[in-house]
Amino acid sequence: MTVPEPVATAARSMADRALSWLHANRAHGALPEGTTETIADPDSVYKPLGETTLAASVLLRDGVAGAGQLVAAQALMDFTWRQLREGDMLYERQLRHTLMTDPLEMYAPFVRCGYRHADLDRLLAHRARLRSVDGVELLPNRRLAVANAARVAGLDHDADWAALARATWLGSTPEPWAINWITAYAMTHTVFHLTDWGGRPHGLPPDLTAYVRTWLPVWIDIWREVGQWDLVAELLIVGASLDEPYCEPSDWEAIAALQHEDGFVPRDADPVDDDPLQRFKDHQHTVVVTAVAGSIALARAAREP
Amino acid sequence: MSSRADFAAAADDLAIRVLGALRGAKGTALVARHIDSAPDALAALAAIRVIGADTFSPYVLAGAAFHAEDAAAVARSFEAFPLPGSGPSAPVDERTAAWRDWATAQLLSRLGGRGTWRVDAAQPEGDVALADTADWQRWSVRMAQLATLATPGLEGPVHDAARGAALPLSRGVTRSVLRRDFPTAVRLIRWLAWLAHEGVPLPLEPLLALEHVRLLGGESPRTALDLAVARHLLEGRHHQGTQEVRT
Repeated sequence: MTVPEPVATAARSMADRALSWLHANRAHGALPEGTTETIADPDSVYKPLGETTLAASVLLRDGVAGAGQLVAAQALMDFTWRQLREGDMLYERQLRHTLMTDPLEMYAPFVRCGYRHADLDRLLAHRARLRSVDGVELLPNRRLAVANAARVAGLDHDADWAALARATWLGSTPEPWAINWITAYAMTHTVFHLTDWGGRPHGLPPDLTAYVRTWLPVWIDIWREVGQWDLVAELLIVGASLDEPYCEPSDWEAIAALQHEDGFVPRDADPVDDDPLQRFKDHQHTVVVTAVAGSIALARAAREP
Repeated sequence: MSSRADFAAAADDLAIRVLGALRGAKGTALVARHIDSAPDALAALAAIRVIGADTFSPYVLAGAAFHAEDAAAVARSFEAFPLPGSGPSAPVDERTAAWRDWATAQLLSRLGGRGTWRVDAAQPEGDVALADTADWQRWSVRMAQLATLATPGLEGPVHDAARGAALPLSRGVTRSVLRRDFPTAVRLIRWLAWLAHEGVPLPLEPLLALEHVRLLGGESPRTALDLAVARHLLEGRHHQGTQEVRT
């Protein structure tokens, strides 16, 4: 058994409580009144909306959370879809900015769960044929994010996944002792997109899978030691997404134990702000990651013979 | 009364002398000179126990001529301080020290000739923790403390454990570099170098890791000695005339 029972127990608690928190706090993630497709500061509210959507979509895809949580996940997606004016905002933003990738990336989890916007579909299909779009210069792990979004949105155009993988930091099977914090995030995202959030474990090439299995225990160890919980939770997703999952009970139990009763998970070992809005801004990403980690591990456990 | 600083200074002094001999400096008996010129005789003797088997590295690795006075000086260091507990019930730190003494005694009996300088440092018994690499973090830290055993010609349970543990040792290297614990990293890289010398495949490139910790971690005399031994092992420059000692 590659997902041990204590991991499945921790994962259920993590996913269910994180989803409850995202649902209960969803209003903090609402776009300011009068937001248009220009979005002066996309990282402040727009990107977090996409992250919440992603978490809900993974829970719905995996379908292994509690019944109440699945209802809440659907309600969350309805909420974020309405926030984006049922796709109109994504459409207007993509219409105005042909080369921007975020409308497609935001749209993909909706497509996965059956939300469609016909004009945006037509625009994206046209855009996918442009060499100009394909030639946009992105970091290799970001290029993978776009390729996976296109795949999920049904716009797959013969992406060379092996070449895309090879171009990343992880793809060079680098010295594992020369990783740093930001590169660790690049590595986790390489795995997220190649495996489509744990849904396609074989998407990570075998040599990279072996490499990750070899060094993931070290990376989890050192970032646990310094309380980088957000990154640790991302590393848990990586382990759960491998062909043969790497899920060490003590790591999962550490995150589950850190989680508050209401589902909140602190991003790091620093003090947490008391102001609810500031808490949401600071820690929403970590709760998203916790929900996704829990869902993927549960799904892997459920698929085992 | 010798202070902690005196002991550290004496160990550095001996490390510098050994390093010089390892790098090819010819001359008189280095251990005996270390004792004779020391401001603090007790600290100088303690230093021999600290540097341990590495005291012999110029002879083992570089084929330097061995001096009988050196054997006598090493033997005196065993008389000056009690032997640590080596049985299964001894605390793990004592057993670690006992392994280091065992390694020193092994090389002394081999290089000292005719058995004159044999010291009674028994091989620790029943050290079951050596084979348990599941907790690779704790295990590799202990192996770092046992790095003087990563010397060609020594053979025993510690070596058997290392031979089957390329992955835990490599994880230990990676962890200690990332934690910027360079002294531990260097000692574990020395084990990787020993494994490479033994022909064991490794999941990481030891020479690059060695150069990285040398540049980032600096070279205190004792670290420099570990680095020099590791480099000898990796570059296959060690003296081929040594015999294996197995108990």
